[in-house]
Amino acid sequence: MALVNPNFAEEIGKPEAFNASACMNCGVCSAVCPMGIELLPRKLFRYVLLGLEDKVQKNSETIYSCLLCKMCEANCPAGVHIAENVRSLRYYLNKKVYNL
Amino acid sequence: MSDRRIGVYICHCGGNISDYVDVDRVRKAVEGEGGVAVAKTAMFACSDATQQEMASDIQEQHLDGLVVASCSPKLHLHTFRDVARRAGLNPFQYTQVNVREQCSWAHTDDREGATDKAIRLVRGAIARTALTEPLEPIIIETVPRVLVVGAGISGLRAAIGLADLGISVYLVEKSPLAGGWIGKLGKMYPHGKDGKSLIAQLINELKKRENITLYTNAEIAEKSGSIGNFDVNLRVRGQEDTTISVNVGSIIVATGFDAYQPEEEEFGFGLDGVLTLPQFKELLDSSAGRPVFNGREIKNVAYIYCVGSRQQPEVENANRYCSRYCCNAAVHASIIALEKNPGMHQYHLYRDMRTYGKFELMYSQAREMGSYFLKFADDGPPVVERGYDGKLQVSLKDLLTFGEEIEIKADVVVLVTGMVPRKSPELVDVLKLPLGRDRFFNEIHPKLRPVETMVDGVYICGSCQGPKNSIESVASALSAVTQSASILKKGYVDLEPLIASVHQDLCNGCGECVATCPYAAIEMEQQQGRSVAAINRALCKGCGGCVPLCPANAIDLKGYTDAQVRSMIDALLKETCQNE
Repeated sequence: MALVNPNFAEEIGKPEAFNASACMNCGVCSAVCPMGIELLPRKLFRYVLLGLEDKVQKNSETIYSCLLCKMCEANCPAGVHIAENVRSLRYYLNKKVYNL
Repeated sequence: MSDRRIGVYICHCGGNISDYVDVDRVRKAVEGEGGVAVAKTAMFACSDATQQEMASDIQEQHLDGLVVASCSPKLHLHTFRDVARRAGLNPFQYTQVNVREQCSWAHTDDREGATDKAIRLVRGAIARTALTEPLEPIIIETVPRVLVVGAGISGLRAAIGLADLGISVYLVEKSPLAGGWIGKLGKMYPHGKDGKSLIAQLINELKKRENITLYTNAEIAEKSGSIGNFDVNLRVRGQEDTTISVNVGSIIVATGFDAYQPEEEEFGFGLDGVLTLPQFKELLDSSAGRPVFNGREIKNVAYIYCVGSRQQPEVENANRYCSRYCCNAAVHASIIALEKNPGMHQYHLYRDMRTYGKFELMYSQAREMGSYFLKFADDGPPVVERGYDGKLQVSLKDLLTFGEEIEIKADVVVLVTGMVPRKSPELVDVLKLPLGRDRFFNEIHPKLRPVETMVDGVYICGSCQGPKNSIESVASALSAVTQSASILKKGYVDLEPLIASVHQDLCNGCGECVATCPYAAIEMEQQQGRSVAAINRALCKGCGGCVPLCPANAIDLKGYTDAQVRSMIDALLKETCQNE
């Protein structure tokens, strides 16, 4: 059982910087991903939105394998700034997990 | 041998009929039938040229009966009745045979059989037509007044609409105040105006119109009469009950809905902090600043959708329907909550979002403002409990997070409750309104006759006929206004004369027919010192339910008399009878 933590999304960045609430889980991003990353971005964003912190931390490798090519962003029907969100996640991991 | 002069026309319908039914063989088979004076085939019986030909045949050949074997009477009954009428033949001496749907379309694999069946059906129609007599439509004069039951937004708007057409209105409200649900609401979607001011605006308009009389604390006690002329007794509660009698041409029922009341422990209902959507909306409407519950600021809210709607069939008296308004109302409530407290976290636990039409924009707005949406499976409803820390906790499997088990701590859990039919057995009893499977009032046809009921002259509108938002309720109220006005402004209605009639000399006064009539159209009356049944011509629908029940065979259905039906059966079974 994962406990929802509403403060986590706010911790990751200013709410305007990380914005995935418009995501409707259509899956276009996963379909067009040249790296074939299944987890990014929609599944990972769900974890962030609900504040499932350990799920995010467990998937740090995925977060770093993103090319930031923005194929997903260009195709997103809900206009989510996916690449920006991935950057915010990296910033959080650098600080929190790797203490950089 | 019949001395009638009947014209029979068999239609090709282009090839719709003649591709499978040998129309010439049908014509030859029936042209020698007793009473047939003219038998023809036609490429399109409904074309102007053929209609013209039928009309001149009727006049020149002095026909006194007409049979057209073509399509469904639903399509062309009135077309050919009009041909008869134009040519001076009584339209009720016309019979339509549906050989397209019943022969050619149904038996594309068997042309012989389809043709044989068509012959029998046409012969049956000829037999029926040979025994027709001229009938006249029943003309009922109408009174230019309407009774509107229920003074919510639908009833109020209907009353104003009727008054503006010059029709007097009696508006009856059961509670002490007009305004209904909307009269208690604050900010509404999609315009952002509040319900209280909408109702105040309508009441202000009501007061400007002298031809509307509003009775509050009042109910319908008794009704008699029929379309165009109802006598209704109203019971007005006060220190002493008073009865007021009104005479109206039609009745519009706009009695609205009740909010679903969850069972004890249903999604934690009964726990402190578990509210229904109407309760939460009231809380929001009454908060000037940040919404507060039990003296503490509300920081986390969980909404559980579809409470009391789309219930699984195992639930006792399950509400299987979608209540239609609640997704929008809950999403809107969350937007208001965020406006009042931008820091509030809101979790929407839904089965399916149905923010149809323009309200989809509101759903997007709620997501962009930061409401979180989680989806649970039909068979995996969320569980609401009081946690060890005293907080409410809601757990579910979130399908949008790939079946992850999620737990949410909430200050307030909002049960998004649907609409249920308002219990009004006395109204059902007095007005004889039919209920649908969902126990809301039932219209005749949801698309084509959406505000008319099986009781002529009684209309339904608003959420008493099924879940509706206020926009849809007012639209249906104005539809009921138009339907009422169309009969009342004309001054009369004409009804089909194909109704039951009693041979009073045969009637033994047993009263079985009175008990069985679903329209209360039969009453006992005194004739030459004895009690006999009499049909109210305005109420009878011609369903025929009383006919076979009568032990004295004293009731006949005009247009479908026992003699006619018997002769049709004989004609249908002609070969069988001869062979045996």
